[in-house]
Amino acid sequence: MSRREPQFSQQTLIDTTPMPAEIPKVQEIGATSAPLTSAAYFIGDRCQAYNDDFMKCKAESNGRGELECLKEGRKVTRCAASVIKDINTHCLTQFTAHWECLENWNHRLWECRKAESDLNACVFDKLGLKKTIPGAVEPPRPTTRIPQYPIYAANTPNLR
Amino acid sequence: MGVPFEALLPFGIIIGCFGAGGYGLMAVKNWTNEGKRARWNRDVWDRVMMERDMRLTGTARGQSCNHEAPPGFELSNPWKLEKRIF
Repeated sequence: MSRREPQFSQQTLIDTTPMPAEIPKVQEIGATSAPLTSAAYFIGDRCQAYNDDFMKCKAESNGRGELECLKEGRKVTRCAASVIKDINTHCLTQFTAHWECLENWNHRLWECRKAESDLNACVFDKLGLKKTIPGAVEPPRPTTRIPQYPIYAANTPNLR
Repeated sequence: MGVPFEALLPFGIIIGCFGAGGYGLMAVKNWTNEGKRARWNRDVWDRVMMERDMRLTGTARGQSCNHEAPPGFELSNPWKLEKRIF
């Protein structure tokens, strides 16, 4: 509750004491930030029930969610790991192309739409997961001008 | 009337110094980012995720798409310490 994030930390402490036995074991996800950003919508598509369950548990546990929601959190981790494992198995080339593009372009999704559309098509064919933007206005609002390209993108060879 | 060559020596020095500075900065930036473009405009989330990438891969800009972390990853999370004020 009263813990404050350190602002001017001079040193770090790495505690290698293993977790106590009553904490349920789960293997952490090994994907780094760019692959996670690339796979985020597919993780959301498959794991939305688990994620919502975890967030509901955290909201209802009055600040003790770190301890009381371990079971739900373990399900979230396992579901996300299963999505990444499936994408790695079936769509590795498109996935790699997309997250390398993201890593090179400051993790901005609109710079890598071509690689993203390839990845979306492959994942939808092989895994049946679809990219949907939660809370997006549907159908899209009518505008006077529908841009062919994202206006502020600099990576035009990687757009369609 | 020809220009004496001594008048051009300062231009050489100026161009050489600006060139050394610029290309040196380019080389250092390229080296620290491991050949990728630099991340910029990072917020707290991005910085925390880059620290996590560092813990996973061991290099500053390395990426990996494994679905399972290497053993010991769950215990390598550092606590940031700071001196007490009061």
